[in-house]
Amino acid sequence: MKPLARWLAAALVLSALAFALSSYHNDVYRKLLLWVTLALGYNFLFGVAGQVAFSHFAFYGIGAYSIVILTFQAGLPLPLAIVAGVALCVAVALAVAIPSTRLEGFYLALATLALAQLFIVVLNEGGAVTGGAGGLADYRLPAILGVRVTGPWYTVVIVLLMLGTMALLARLDRSWFGRACRAVRDSPEAAAAMGVNVARTKVIAFTLTSALAAVAGMAYAFVDNTVNPPIFGLENAFLLLFMVIIGGAGRQAGAIAGAVALYLLPFVLSPLIGHHHALVFGVLMVAAILLQPRGLIGLYDALRRRAA
Amino acid sequence: MKRCKLLIGALALGATGIVAGGAMAQDPIRIGVITDKVGPARPYAEPITEGVVYGAEELNRRGGVLGRKIELLIEDDQGRPDISAAMARKLVDAGAAFILSLSLTQATQQQQTVTMETRTPQLTPSNSGDTLTTQIANPFFWQTGPLGSTQIATLLSYARAKNLKRVALISDNSDLGQLLAKFFRAGLEKSGIQVAIEEVVPRGATTAEPQLQKIRAANPDAMFMAGVLTPENVLILKAYRQFGLKFPIHSSYNLSVPQYSTVAKGLLDGITFVDAYDPAKPEVKAFVEAYEKAKGKTPYNLHGYGYDGIRLVADAIGRAGSTDKEAVRAAMQATNFAGVMGAQGMKYRFPDGKRTGFDPEGMVVRVYEGDRQGRVVHVGTR
Repeated sequence: MKPLARWLAAALVLSALAFALSSYHNDVYRKLLLWVTLALGYNFLFGVAGQVAFSHFAFYGIGAYSIVILTFQAGLPLPLAIVAGVALCVAVALAVAIPSTRLEGFYLALATLALAQLFIVVLNEGGAVTGGAGGLADYRLPAILGVRVTGPWYTVVIVLLMLGTMALLARLDRSWFGRACRAVRDSPEAAAAMGVNVARTKVIAFTLTSALAAVAGMAYAFVDNTVNPPIFGLENAFLLLFMVIIGGAGRQAGAIAGAVALYLLPFVLSPLIGHHHALVFGVLMVAAILLQPRGLIGLYDALRRRAA
Repeated sequence: MKRCKLLIGALALGATGIVAGGAMAQDPIRIGVITDKVGPARPYAEPITEGVVYGAEELNRRGGVLGRKIELLIEDDQGRPDISAAMARKLVDAGAAFILSLSLTQATQQQQTVTMETRTPQLTPSNSGDTLTTQIANPFFWQTGPLGSTQIATLLSYARAKNLKRVALISDNSDLGQLLAKFFRAGLEKSGIQVAIEEVVPRGATTAEPQLQKIRAANPDAMFMAGVLTPENVLILKAYRQFGLKFPIHSSYNLSVPQYSTVAKGLLDGITFVDAYDPAKPEVKAFVEAYEKAKGKTPYNLHGYGYDGIRLVADAIGRAGSTDKEAVRAAMQATNFAGVMGAQGMKYRFPDGKRTGFDPEGMVVRVYEGDRQGRVVHVGTR
């Protein structure tokens, strides 16, 4: 099957699923697709470009809040609000990324952790603009060309967003830029010696993935028509990191497997073992890191090799 | 033979109808409960849920509602608002006639998008956020937890006699702590009392001494505590005693949780705190006695919120005469119910279309006598 046909088939199957699911399962499915979208972006930043950043989820929140504020407080039409929201996220990402080129590893993680924490403080202290601790609610996705996208049709929008993000990042990964990112990740000095502009590569990777997270956040804002600070809390930034590690950093299939496994784990285990699912989560994390550092996708590779 | 077959067929049909009818009469009324079993709201949500479960058991022992048993469908939202909304959808899909929200304020907020869309009655018996009924015009949502603004108004009313001019405000950096601090600050400033200094003890801190040193330097007339994180509040009290500070402490309802008598032993004497629970109230005495008998342990105020919550729901369904959502909505709005919580004689009501049902004059101020939660020293906001 040709690549385009494969993407179309995936879009059709994933979209059709939305119409077969109940209201509850559709809601879980929508949120899962958004987590997968985020994990794909973070996989590129962390797994491919080698940047340990905790700001990815904050950009998801900036995207969500900016679309609501720009559309319903500033009164911008939705398409313009999307463009302005992305521009805002790019500006914030550049403001973080450019000074951060001097930082790497642990120090970059700390700097982006501070940004994520600052974002929550701004949300809580933002008064009427951010709605403070209660957040913003009571808004609806505006009609586009007279059509209001709701229910499973909105899930289709998220499916397309997820596949678009996946296609873009897969293409980038295979391009010169993707190879440059991997070179910078493995050895910045060697990459520089090969003619790669290390600082520029880092800034572009950070800004691009942050902008993609922001677009996913914009889609999230209309899932429950509510945004509030706990949704974008630091715990989720760590959960995203765990998803990529558990799934297998550096590979899209790993990010997808990690996101699906960790997001659905409480939903599957909670009815069986109650609140002990949190304990299972911890044990799985430790076991995965100790026994299978390449994640679920590494486990799959090993099983396939053994079968062959 | 043909007639015989017809007769048997008719009898079988009739019997099926009776069985089906009987089964329908026995169908339980499903009440959804969204609680937090692992997240930040767990310390509150757990006893409140226990109160709901006990209340449902008591109602079922007395024959249920409309001759039907109550079946609780309990879901854990992990203290995550996005999952909370998904759980609300799950409960609606499962046929819940009513949803009780016992998790974070923001989680309750997010559930409302679902209950408004599906026109499913929803009640939070414990959340205190002031904006829950104002941000979304959801006619299917009610709140009977005492509002944050009512807490501060009650505390201020008690403190007014003390002629306070300049006070300190201390809280933690949890979302709820920040929300309460905001209400406290607004209430104090509205009363013409200057907030001379405001300090925040971050979650996970190992000491509150730097914050208390700054407060000592500001020399306030009193200190208001708006934090909701127990370990951080204990750090504040430790530093307060360590520095030998003498200005009085007035606290949010958080200090009404009995665990403080254990974790803050020796630090509590003389502290006043706002509460919605009067141990001298006859309804409270009866509840405590029955709960102890059934469960073998003593309930406290948080259990009372849950107990009142499920009984409010049962009362509304009983008066509605069915689980028809519109009928239950109308019945709930017409509530006039005396529960365990609130000052003596207080009734939950939703007058003039309001959806906040805790009487603003129904809170009390109590004082710690040693490590024991002591008597009521003040009632209401006047």
